[in-house]
Formats: sequence, structure tokens, C-alpha cells
Amino acid sequence: MDRPISSGTIMARAFLNHRDGTKGGIAERGITPAFAKRQQAQDSIFYYLTLGFALLVLVILGSIMASLIDGAWPAFATFGLGFITTEIWNPVTEQFGALAPIYGTLVTSAIALLIGVPVSFGIAIFITELCPRGLKRPIGIAIELLAGIPSIIYGIWGLFVFAPFMQLYIQPFLIKGLGPLPLIGSLFKGPPYGIGILTAGIILAIMILPFITSVTRDVFETVPPMLKESAYGLGATTWEVVSRIVLPYSRVGVTGGVMLGLGRALGETMAITFVIGNAHRISNSILAPGTTISASIANEFTEAVGDLYTSALIGLGLILFVITFFVLVLARLMLMRMDKKAGG
Amino acid sequence: MAATSLSKSLYARRRSTNFVAMLLAMGAAVFGLFWLFAILGTLFWNGFSAIDLAIFTQNTPAPGSAGGLANAIIGSLAMTLIATLVGTPIGIMAGTYLAEYGKKSVLASVIRFINDILLSAPSIIIGLFVYVIFVLQVGHFSGWAGSLALSFLVIPVVVRTSEDMLNLVPTGLREAAAALGAPRWKVVAFIAYKAARNGMITGVLLAIARISGETAPLLFTSLNNQFGGSGFFSFWSSDMNAPMANLPVAIFQMALSPYEDWQRLAWGGSLLITVAILALNIAARGLAALTSKGN
Amino acid sequence: MNAELASLATGQPSNVDAALSAKIDIRNLNFFYDKFHALKDINLKLQTGKVTAFIGPSGCGKSTLLRVLNRIYDLYPKLRAEGEVLFDGENILAPGQDLNLLRARIGMVFQKPTPFPMSIYDNVAFGIRLYEKLSKLELDGRIEAALRRAALWDEVKDKLHQSGLGLSGGQQQRLCIARSVAVKPEVILLDEPCSALDPISTAKIEELIDELKQDYTIAIVTHNMQQAARTSDYTAFMYLGQLIEFSPTQQVFTNPREKRTQDYITGRFG
Repeated sequence: MDRPISSGTIMARAFLNHRDGTKGGIAERGITPAFAKRQQAQDSIFYYLTLGFALLVLVILGSIMASLIDGAWPAFATFGLGFITTEIWNPVTEQFGALAPIYGTLVTSAIALLIGVPVSFGIAIFITELCPRGLKRPIGIAIELLAGIPSIIYGIWGLFVFAPFMQLYIQPFLIKGLGPLPLIGSLFKGPPYGIGILTAGIILAIMILPFITSVTRDVFETVPPMLKESAYGLGATTWEVVSRIVLPYSRVGVTGGVMLGLGRALGETMAITFVIGNAHRISNSILAPGTTISASIANEFTEAVGDLYTSALIGLGLILFVITFFVLVLARLMLMRMDKKAGG
Repeated sequence: MAATSLSKSLYARRRSTNFVAMLLAMGAAVFGLFWLFAILGTLFWNGFSAIDLAIFTQNTPAPGSAGGLANAIIGSLAMTLIATLVGTPIGIMAGTYLAEYGKKSVLASVIRFINDILLSAPSIIIGLFVYVIFVLQVGHFSGWAGSLALSFLVIPVVVRTSEDMLNLVPTGLREAAAALGAPRWKVVAFIAYKAARNGMITGVLLAIARISGETAPLLFTSLNNQFGGSGFFSFWSSDMNAPMANLPVAIFQMALSPYEDWQRLAWGGSLLITVAILALNIAARGLAALTSKGN
Repeated sequence: MNAELASLATGQPSNVDAALSAKIDIRNLNFFYDKFHALKDINLKLQTGKVTAFIGPSGCGKSTLLRVLNRIYDLYPKLRAEGEVLFDGENILAPGQDLNLLRARIGMVFQKPTPFPMSIYDNVAFGIRLYEKLSKLELDGRIEAALRRAALWDEVKDKLHQSGLGLSGGQQQRLCIARSVAVKPEVILLDEPCSALDPISTAKIEELIDELKQDYTIAIVTHNMQQAARTSDYTAFMYLGQLIEFSPTQQVFTNPREKRTQDYITGRFG
């Protein structure tokens, strides 16, 4: 030993000399049955604790449903099914129909998908098939940063930057160019407000881009390279490989991603509230102001006077929750099916 | 020779189709990135000029006059902190159940599925929910209600990431600890958590990033308390039991106001939030990268 | 063929010294992975203070048998064992057994090194702290003793508080042995402890096994027949979930009773 012997070393010697075999084994360490019992008790406490909090997840969802139904009850009791099918929304006469916000929610989401889906696909194709290796990660991260920007930022940007731009350039162009057309012309009539259904839909499209893109990209990457290589081997072009091999193979997963984006779009609140105009009416033109379920709630809830008004707004929330719930369930089921395919 | 010219023209058409499609894909990528830069660009442009010392030291002003966002910043920090402190342990415990005990059982699969639904449920619904179960019962808006709403947003994120991270811990590590005689809970608490620590912190950071910009669930839970401050230091006595100022709702109200001073503050606040969130995202990514390198 | 196998499977070792005491006595053990019958009617005694090696082709059940002995299989659902495993006369398969205490008495080292994500010191201290409250001094002593026993002390004494993940593969495996030894078990189960290691580390660990058997009853599963021959006192040859032959090592390798054993050790299959 060229090292000064520490007291720990002396101890170690003692142990070594003592032969640390069965001597001092657990039987001689004074492990009492009480100790073993306590240890088992701790184990089951921990188990039930984790189980309890896991069950809390179910309780939360159940309570959301229950509290919304409870809160919406007066409105549904008063108006019946008419609550969903009528357009009039008049706090003064206490007449409430949810049709206009439902319509606005569906139309803005439809516009968002119409624009967002092809662009997301394009980005995903670019990232998986075209992008130089070094750019892959930075572009992927940049797109995901778009998802990190909070909704209210999109709102304030939409109100101060994007809406005026729409009003000055895009909308007059649409009104002039598409307004006189038969059939679809009525969609593009009226003065250029800047804000409105179309503006809200475009902002939604930008907001759901990152979600659809990242799911689509992930799903595209589950396509076995062998499959793609054999198609390339036959002389197929990149586009042919994507459209005939990659897309059909990943159809279910991609649809799941789109549904996830749709779930986002349906429930998106703040960005829409800034730019939709908050008008409880259904117009033919998508340039006109409108409202969505979430925007109505956000705008009116704190000012709602009277129980029926509040109840009607909670009723809107219930409708939104039910719609998004089914969309999300569908999305998850599709993504799960895709996972199974990739796993097996 | 007709056949060759036909196949040649077919080939040319296929190639041009491909060219157009790839051009469109590239265009889509440029389009997507364009918005990122457009939004961040205008945000920095308008936000920088609005940020000065006063934004951190003065309270939200009366309409039309100058002021800062101090009380809103404090309020947001307080509510985010409380929501994280409440939501994180719950999320970790639930995630622990899914990864360590429930695994592929029916109950665990159902919980996992429902958690995924909660993860993407509209946040305004959470606001309504807390309004009904808490604000209505107590009778007034409060910072506590806002924190509660935010914690409901934290939980699903943390459940998800904790489970994912615990699943990455090699089973050999758990077996080795169990083989020493460690009871299950010590295996989880001292070995699995330790091995999954960085990933779990990443999850919490992402959850914080998510809630720090949330506005909708605060609108009718914590509301706002723009005019609460009368004295200079009034925000120090911020009362969690009263309606509480917070950045997102303050930005919402100020941006929609007709006063230029307020709109300027809204831009400043937006920049603060966005920078904080991007920083959190980058920190989370850095930590995740660090972990994967460590293994 | 089934009849033949069945007659072999009773497997009571012919030449095991009756004077030695059995630390672990396995009786009519059957094991199931859900519906798959992985161990078939195993009868075997592990003698106190001896090294018993388990050999056989992949999937023959040797690792499974080892994992029954400390009931580590209990961590997973749908696995079950039938029969008796007497450890100092007490059936460890009986319901109500405290598995944590059992595992503290029967240590295990795994195929791949499994250092915990903590310092070398804490790795060894982890198991000790589970059942003992020691002073800092006593703990230091125990850790040093364990590391010395695992022939690792000289290599790590200056970096006890660095991460165990920074060690080489061979060092990590010796750390795992030290960790097991530190708990002072009575039996040590080694599940192919050298299969992930280089020849030099393997030699070190084999030396260690020889050293450890003075104090512990050891069971080792190995792919490597030379290793079994070098390190063990008794050898059990398993095939398709059955115990084909169990005899003193020398006999198994020089004069096996069964043709199947001979085929295996001469490399004709497996």
C-alpha cells in the first residue's frame, strides 16, 4: 500500500478478515418482520398513489363532461334542439341559437384544412425527400417553433399586420376577380373588411401547419426504405414514389395527423377572436365577419348577464367539446392503427 | 419508331410532372418558413421599441396613459409556478402508473387514450370547466382559479412525457435494482426516475412553455386585474384570492383597445412571452439532445 | 424420443457428495411464460459454497431457471412457476414470501453490465442502504471491502464519486458484482456475466468467481463451455427446458453420461 491507510480502509480490512460471506447476512442484520411489513406497506402506498393519479385523468375528463352538461342544461331545457338549429343570438330578448358560431367554426376550420393540408404535405415531402441532409433538422425545428408561438401572438399579429394586408391587397383582388363569377361568386362579395371568416381561416391554416407537418413527416418516415428503393429502382420519379408508394402506405396515419390539426383548428380561440369580427350571423360571403364557438365564449362570457346567457355560452362549449372529442378520438384511433402497422 | 417517340414524350411528361410537384413542395416549405419569419419579424420590430424599464417596474396603466406590465408579469409568473407545482407531481405519478404498473392493461390503455384526448382538447373548455367547478362555487374570479385551469393543461403533457421517458429506461436497470432487494417503489423512485430525469425535466419545460402563453383558460378564471394597483408597490401584495393580472389576458385587452399606449404595451408583452417560450423550447431541446448523447 | 427425454429428466445427480448440504433444493420445478412451458420438471440441488454452472443451447431455459431462483420473473405479469424451490429449507415459491428480502439474500449479476446512473460509490451503497443504517465510516468500509472483493478497488479508489457509467464494460461488470457482494447475500446468481466482455475482463471475472466461492454459493449461466469447465464444481446441461445431465464438472466434460451432453460439449449442435 503506497497510499496512507484511511480509517475506511481499516474498516474494510476488518470486514475482509471477517470474511463477509453469510456472516452478517440479512438474517443477522436484525431485519424484523415489522420492517418487512412496513416495506411492503410503502410499496402498496406508492402503487395506489400512482394508480389514483392515473385515475384522476379519467376523473378530469368525466368532470369536464359533467360540468359542461350541468352548466348547459338551462339553455338546452329552454330552447331544446332549436339551440343548435337557430341563428338568432339576442342577449336582450334572451333568444339564443348556436347555428352561427357552429357554422363559423366549421367554415374557418374547413378553410384552414383546405390551405393547411396541401402546404403541410408539401413541407413534409420537402423534408423527407428533397431536403439536403444538413437542412433537415433546422427546417424541422423552425416549423416546430411555429407550433410553440402562443395563439395570442397569432391574434395580435393577425389584427395589426395580416388583416390590414388582406384588406388592402387580397380581398379587393378576390372581390374583383372572383366576385362576378357565377355560383362561387357570392362567397367573395361585400366590402373588404380585412377581418372576417377568410382571414381567420388563413391564420388557422398557419397555426395548424406545424401539427400536420410533424405528424405527416413522422408517418412518412415509417415507410420502409426497401419499398421506396424498389420503386426508384424501377425508374419512378420522386413524385411518383411519393404519390403512389408513400402516400398510400401512410394514408391512415396522415389522416390521423390531419384530424389532429382539425381538432386544433376547431378549438382555437384567441387568434380567431382577434380577427373574426364577432358577428352572430351567417353570411354567404367568406369575406364577411362572423364568429366561432370559441370566439363567442371568449368575447361574451365575462360580460354575460343572466343565467340563461351564461348557460347558452356553456352550451356552446359543450357542443365544441363534443365535436372536438369525436374528431380527436378518430385521430388517435387512426394514429394507433398506423403505429401498429409500423410496429408489426 | 413511333413507340420510342411516344415513350420519350411520356417520359418527358413524367419528368415535368415531377419537376412541378417538387417545385410546389419546395414552395410549401418556403411558404411555411415565411410565416415564421413574418410573425417573428413584426413581433420583434414592434415589440423592441415597446420594451423599456417601465414595462418591468410599473403596473398596467389607466386607459390612455403610459405604464408597464409589472403586475401582469408577476401574476403570470405566480400562476405558472403554482400550476407547474401542482400539475407536475400529479402528471409524473400518473405517468409512472402507465409506464411501471399499468403497461398494456386495458385500464392503462384507456387512461393513455383519454390523456391524449385531454392533451389536444381546446384550452377554452378547460377555462369553462374551472369556471363551473371553482369560480361559480367560490363566487369570484381568482388567481387560484387561473392556476387550477393552467394545471389541468400541465397534467396531460407531463403524463405523456413521463411515461415516454420511463419507457426508455432499460428494464435491465430495474431488474438490477430489484435483484439487490429494493422494493418496487425504490426501484422507481431512486433508479428509474434518476435515469429518466433529463427527459422528464424536458417534459416539464415544454409544459411550462405551453401554459405561459395560454390566454383562453384565464379569461374567466383569473380574469385580469388591470386597475388593481394604486400604489407603486401594490403588485407585491398580489392576492391569489382576487382576480389576478396576467400577461396574456392583459395583452388581449390592451391589443383590442383603441389607445396607442396600450397597443404598444401589448406588443411589448407579446415579445416577452414569445421570447420566454422560445427560450424554454430551446432549453428543452438542448436538454433532450444532451440526454441522447449521454446514452 | 419423449420417453427417452422423460427418463433423463429426473436428473438427480449421480455422483454428488451426499455429505454436502444443499443451499438451494429445486424440486419438480415447472415454469410457464403464459402458455409456453419453458422449464419441465427440474430437480436439482445447489451445494453450499460450490459453483454450479448451467450450460446448454440458447433458449434451453438456463437463464429462466436462474431467474426463478430469486423470483425476478415476478416483475412481469403472466409468468408462473410450479413446484418447490427450497432455500435453506424454505420454499421460496410459496405465497406470502417477501421477495425483497429474498432478493437481498440471493444476489444476481446480469448479462449486460447495469451500472445505475449515479456515482461508483452510490452504486455500491444503494443496496447496503436498503437494509442497513450505517455510519459514514462503516459504509465507507463496506464499500471499499466490496470493491476490493470485486478486484475493482485499485482502479476506482480515486474516482469513487464519478459516474459509474464512465467505466469500461469490464469495470462496469465488476462494479455490478461489487454491488451484489456489498449486500452480503448468501447466494450469487451470474447470468452470462462475461458475454459482453473482452477476454481480459473475462479472465478477471473468472478469477473473481474462484475467489468468491469461498464465501458464497454461486450459480452461473454461461454460453462458454471452457468457462463452465474452468470455474465450476458442478455442471448442469439443459436442453429444451429439461435438465439432461447434472454431475460434477469434471465428469460432465470428460465422461458425460448422456449422448446429448457429449454432442453439445463437442460442438455437434447448439
